[in-house]
Amino acid sequence: MAAPLTLLLIVAVTIRAVLFRSSWAELISERVEVVSPLNAWKRVVEGLALLDLGVSPYSGDVFHETPFMIYLFHFVVDYAEIVFMVTDGITAVALYLSIQTYNKNVFRKQKYALESDRYPADCLELLRSPKEMFYIPLKVAMFYLLNPFTILSCVAKSTCGLNNAIIALFILCTLKGSALLSGILLALATYQSIYPLTLFAPALLFFLQRLYIPVNLRRSSFWFFTLQYAFIYVGSLVVITGLSFFLLGSWDFIPSVYGFIFSVPDLTPNIGLFWYFFAEMFEHFRLFFICVFQINVFFYTIPLSIKLKEHPVFLIFMQIAIISIFKSYPTVGDVALYMAFLPAWSHLYRFLRNIFLVSCVLLACSALFPVLWHLWIYAGSANSNFYYAITLLFNFGQVKSLNLISHFT
Amino acid sequence: MDYYNLLTTCAFIHLLVSIPYAYSNYVENKAGQFFSSGHTNNWAVLVCTSRFWFNYRHVANTLSVYRSVKRLGIPDSHIVLMLADDMACNYRNPKPATVFSHKNMELNVYGDDVEVDYRGYEVTVENFLRVLTGRLPPSTPRSKRLLSDDRSNILIYLTGHGGNGFLKFQDSEEISNMELADAFEQMWQKRRYNELLFIIDTCQGASMYERFYSPNLMALASSQVGEDSLSHQPDLAIGVHLMDKYTFYLLEFLEEVHPASQANMNDLFKVCPQSQCVSTPGHRTDLFQRNPGSVLITDFFGSVLLHDMKQLVADVSSQKPKQKDWHPPDGFILGLWTLILLVFFQTYGIKHLKHIF
Repeated sequence: MAAPLTLLLIVAVTIRAVLFRSSWAELISERVEVVSPLNAWKRVVEGLALLDLGVSPYSGDVFHETPFMIYLFHFVVDYAEIVFMVTDGITAVALYLSIQTYNKNVFRKQKYALESDRYPADCLELLRSPKEMFYIPLKVAMFYLLNPFTILSCVAKSTCGLNNAIIALFILCTLKGSALLSGILLALATYQSIYPLTLFAPALLFFLQRLYIPVNLRRSSFWFFTLQYAFIYVGSLVVITGLSFFLLGSWDFIPSVYGFIFSVPDLTPNIGLFWYFFAEMFEHFRLFFICVFQINVFFYTIPLSIKLKEHPVFLIFMQIAIISIFKSYPTVGDVALYMAFLPAWSHLYRFLRNIFLVSCVLLACSALFPVLWHLWIYAGSANSNFYYAITLLFNFGQVKSLNLISHFT
Repeated sequence: MDYYNLLTTCAFIHLLVSIPYAYSNYVENKAGQFFSSGHTNNWAVLVCTSRFWFNYRHVANTLSVYRSVKRLGIPDSHIVLMLADDMACNYRNPKPATVFSHKNMELNVYGDDVEVDYRGYEVTVENFLRVLTGRLPPSTPRSKRLLSDDRSNILIYLTGHGGNGFLKFQDSEEISNMELADAFEQMWQKRRYNELLFIIDTCQGASMYERFYSPNLMALASSQVGEDSLSHQPDLAIGVHLMDKYTFYLLEFLEEVHPASQANMNDLFKVCPQSQCVSTPGHRTDLFQRNPGSVLITDFFGSVLLHDMKQLVADVSSQKPKQKDWHPPDGFILGLWTLILLVFFQTYGIKHLKHIF
């Protein structure tokens, strides 16, 4: 399957290169749906310029990237477009390989289940054949690379693409079974934005399943492995944070990056739920609602892990979706990542009841975002309520689609 | 042997220690030189006293001195410019918004940023004397005041029609040389100047500085008593004489002066000798305490202090550190790549190395 994948990569790179050279690149990099204060390219350039002037890039409320980003972009800032295209390519290839591995696992389990006659008779039509599953990894890569959301995110040079790449590599390493690499990459992903912390549980569940350790809180083998994995994860996180300290010699990045993510001081409109709510919030209640909103992101891990402990990869997918809906500064790049997984369960589409409604909602909202933004900001005939309504509807559509997809299990 | 070593070490240390001393001596000399003039700020009062279109040249005179003074560094806030008539926007001016000093319209001394403080009928003897002595009504804005102190060097330039002992203002009144001398004495008593340079370009101009009696005054005039100051060139397109001879050559002289120039007053006295000016320029330095040869042109025409200070600081301290590009610290790079290599080998096993090497 290397040839179709290469062809796909070439097509994707061509589309992105064409868009980079066109006049739309400027327009796209200013859209609030595509860039957020956390991952805008303008801010990266600003931070690097501040650094060249001898000032800490975290002074002032401009730069909210982690020091590793500074290290990376210090050397490649002139080749940023190529870097982002390569990043998208890495993500696509990582997703391709991980879905390939996943399919192999699934197929093997299906084979064993068939041989041991564990399937009831009327499920036979749900069985997957190798022929069907052959093209799924390519479809996943295609869903990611040719998704307009991804293309927009890449053309805007939003560092969301890099975050997606790290998460995709994490998924690949998890599915390949390397606990060390998976822990390190998860630590890197958490270091970039805190929310992938919730992916610790599905990764853990996957490894436990793979190593045939039953998920029983009373068993010592469970705790033994959990502690090992947690040690790898926390250890790499500590090492990475320590290294970042040595890059700039100060702990400035912690309030600027993580403090920013948690306390949401910047209320620029985006496709998330935080901005409107906190724009009209009284100061007195702000801390309370910050806590409520942030706990909301992390809270779903527990019930979902309990329910989906047999299906850790699906749990990863659900977690990524929940993160991208409920995080403090989502962009369409985050949405693109979990949408890439949809072909993996394509044999279950017949069970989705409201797929037409949900897909119409998502399409219509995506189209209405720029329209209502224009009406609000430029024409002045709408106001923030209109835009927030579309944001709400978009997130509602996403939640509904999650609802539907959860019927897969 | 030991004694010899000790001696050389002592000599070496002495040399090392004396270098900063020598350097600081140099710095002190420079600083002494810099502060020898005794003034800390510069002011200029530039007055054109005649109106009507045919006196275009007097306005051009004043504006050319204004231009030089601004170019050499005195800001508008420290210049009191008094023009008795508006030539640039006069309805007889074929080139509106311009005042030319050279024929064929080579140099427009009106420019884009002229700030006239007293204009038209505000230029009177009373206002002029009030500006000099500082006795203005409290409602006068700052731009119309001469806010000098006892460390100010003031340049006063007057041009117009004059006679033996008087200067005509607006064709309706006169100021006499005694009034002017008394005004300067008032300024001295009120400590309103450190040193004052008085330049006048009128007929029989030297008569205006005959009566001065206050210290630290230096005066130049374009013509002696009994002589007329002549105008320089007419421009046939504009139809009037553009400049007076003395100020024309003064402008040419000043165009050569730049803020760091070391030209002194002796050079100024040589401007426009009789061969060029037809009249004999005069000067008076007996009331001035310093030797005119040691007085820089820029002490009066420019405001070179900031510039000199910069020069001084640049000499004393090292150069401003160049803007460096930031580089990640080596420890960080080392640590990061060591870790990456460690993880790589941990994952892929060291036994593969055997096959590579």
